[in-house]
Amino acid sequence: MTKKLLALSLSAVLAASMLAGCGGGSTQGTESKSTESGKSNESSESAASDASEDSGESASASGITYDGDEVTITYWHTHSDAEEEVLVDTIIPEFEKQYPNIHVDAVRMPYDGLMQQIITSLSSGTGPDLMRMDIIWVPQLAEMGALVAIDDLEGFADLKDDLYEGPLSTNYYNGKYYGLPLNTNCLAGVYSNTMMEQLNLTSLPTTYDEVVALKDKLGEDQYLIACDGANSWAMAPLFHSLGGVYTNEDYTKASGYLNGEASVKALETIVEWYDEGIIGPCFTGGKPDSANGLYDGNYLFSYQGPWFFSNDDEENLAKVTGGLLPAGEAGSLTVNGGEDLVIFDSSSRKEASWVFAMFLMNEFSQSAQAVGGGHLIPTVKSIAESDEVQAVENMDIYIKQLEGAVSRTPSPAWERISDKLSIAFQSAVLHEDTAQSALDKIAPEVDALLAGEE
Amino acid sequence: MKKPLSSRFSKGLKQWLSVLPFLAVGMTLFIVFVLYPQVKNIYIAFTNYNIMPGSENKFVGISNFANMFKEVTVKGSDANFFWIAFRNNVLAVLVTVPGQLVLGLIVAVFIHNLKVGRNVYKVLLYIAVICDWVVFCNIIDYIFQPDEGSLVNYCLISLGLLKEPVAWLQNTWTGNLVIWICSIWKGFGWVMIIYTAGLQGIPTDQYEAATMDGANALDKFFHITLPGLKGTTVYLLINLINGAMNIFIQVFLLTQGKPLGTTDVVMDYIYRRAFNYFDFGYAAACGIVMGMIVFIVSMCLKKFLRYGQDD
Repeated sequence: MTKKLLALSLSAVLAASMLAGCGGGSTQGTESKSTESGKSNESSESAASDASEDSGESASASGITYDGDEVTITYWHTHSDAEEEVLVDTIIPEFEKQYPNIHVDAVRMPYDGLMQQIITSLSSGTGPDLMRMDIIWVPQLAEMGALVAIDDLEGFADLKDDLYEGPLSTNYYNGKYYGLPLNTNCLAGVYSNTMMEQLNLTSLPTTYDEVVALKDKLGEDQYLIACDGANSWAMAPLFHSLGGVYTNEDYTKASGYLNGEASVKALETIVEWYDEGIIGPCFTGGKPDSANGLYDGNYLFSYQGPWFFSNDDEENLAKVTGGLLPAGEAGSLTVNGGEDLVIFDSSSRKEASWVFAMFLMNEFSQSAQAVGGGHLIPTVKSIAESDEVQAVENMDIYIKQLEGAVSRTPSPAWERISDKLSIAFQSAVLHEDTAQSALDKIAPEVDALLAGEE
Repeated sequence: MKKPLSSRFSKGLKQWLSVLPFLAVGMTLFIVFVLYPQVKNIYIAFTNYNIMPGSENKFVGISNFANMFKEVTVKGSDANFFWIAFRNNVLAVLVTVPGQLVLGLIVAVFIHNLKVGRNVYKVLLYIAVICDWVVFCNIIDYIFQPDEGSLVNYCLISLGLLKEPVAWLQNTWTGNLVIWICSIWKGFGWVMIIYTAGLQGIPTDQYEAATMDGANALDKFFHITLPGLKGTTVYLLINLINGAMNIFIQVFLLTQGKPLGTTDVVMDYIYRRAFNYFDFGYAAACGIVMGMIVFIVSMCLKKFLRYGQDD
């Protein structure tokens, strides 16, 4: 009997362990990609070296001194090829020259499954000292107690006033700042030259009304809008421009906003446009995808981040033109993306990490990243508005478009809220539910998540 | 006559000490990788678990388990998604287990009766089994792309079976179908190998006797081969059911549960709750429930099919 019991319990343990063993993933289907690996092109390389030469002498330290022991700090980032080149060849050598006691071990991490990797490394105490991470993760990790609050650290108070409010706010949680906005981005318009020609457009359409009016001129397999999915990132520019909102301005309440008249109408319009073929099939995962559809003249325009222009070859990029997104009832709005620099609480080299973080925020580093490599958009106002940065191809478009950038709700529960939004949007688009009912259902759930009740 | 306790004890101790080196490695691995995670998993399921080392984990009783039933009938609720995922696991069992068994058996019988090239066929069909899941799923993803040019759509349109290309992975039932096809394709090679081994264990004189009695090939298959493979089949059945209840990678890589969680399975659901939402307590509770279900099903099967008792 005892034997049987033992065998039984052991088998139970084994059976259950098979289930538990299924952890650790490789890819993550997330919509928010702020950086993607891509090819560097010659012009950006030379621009990067120009930047380093120009500012070589004036490469100011961030005004912070370091007189601690010699240390090596580990820095995780998700830069693309072109961006990484600037970091490794320009920024870090200059930093190590100025701070010979601090060495930086920069580790490039893949974006897919990164959050899971952070969690694993933190729980096992093998995490990095500091990291450049997607803005949406900061509140979640701050809530867990994984990050250092930077409010009282040297130099932050002065730097803060020169930062754009939007990107800075992504670091705010529970009365404190838990990171520095390293670079910002948003989705702006990329228009197909072929389609523009076919539709006899001499200038980019400025409103969605103008876009929709072109409907009758479309040929077979042609659509006007390429939106990469009915989710809280890709669909956000369209949804917000048409008047939709996720929450109130304080990000504390969704009921009455997410399911308010304007939001419901925005979603209904999107569903209608998809049904009428104004929004193309890539909206629900169909072909052609947005990039190829733009090149081949299937889509008039698509919502793309600045990385779009460093991820493809010049031959393809010659087939498209960057521009501002059309305006809807609420204006030409878009969604805010970007990366923040955070220091982990588990780090034993916080002081040196902060010195490096502040160096990445100084004029030398911010300009180098903007001018060279992936053309990252600076978050420091004075640098973003400088002539040197404004002269970078398409930079002016993105900086202008950022004026209408809406933050994704900064909340530790954002991943859940985002999934709920995606499900509501998809139910409406696939006619599983009406726009009103789908949004009515999730609004109280989002309220509860915002209040931290779930 | 019984020896005194002390001498029995010292003899027992000696025996233990002599086998301990052989047991130690296995036991250590078992404790570290199976027992400890299981015990910890049970602990996590009853707390509001925070993964950060040193943080407080509040005891929440059975509320994590209760959440699996909270508003279960409301479409779009977390509990509703859990049971949709569970339904998909059950469907996967009902479709992929018979699929793999039948296909594996047929192929095994054919290969067993081949005069030449047995190993070549075995190796060729086994490639899918040893192929990495990621590679395999990417191939499946590629041939089921939604455009006209993808292999499956092209063939079906050319044959006149379809008029328009189908977005296989974007719809509930076509998405599930692709997941099942993927599972069967990847798994039947293993079934085939086990069956070919089983077939070699059936004495040839039974077939000879049947031939003398005038039995045809089908008679022999149903009256000799199938009964001869009963033990193998039950073994396969239990393993395949466990496997189908645990499918994860194909869903994670092919559909991510889309659209609207209707192609999701429990493992993927648990993974998302744990690693995207950090809701480790709830995820652990779901894991325990699923583990218990699999365990009970396996035990019932073992009992009803009397595995290991009459073979």
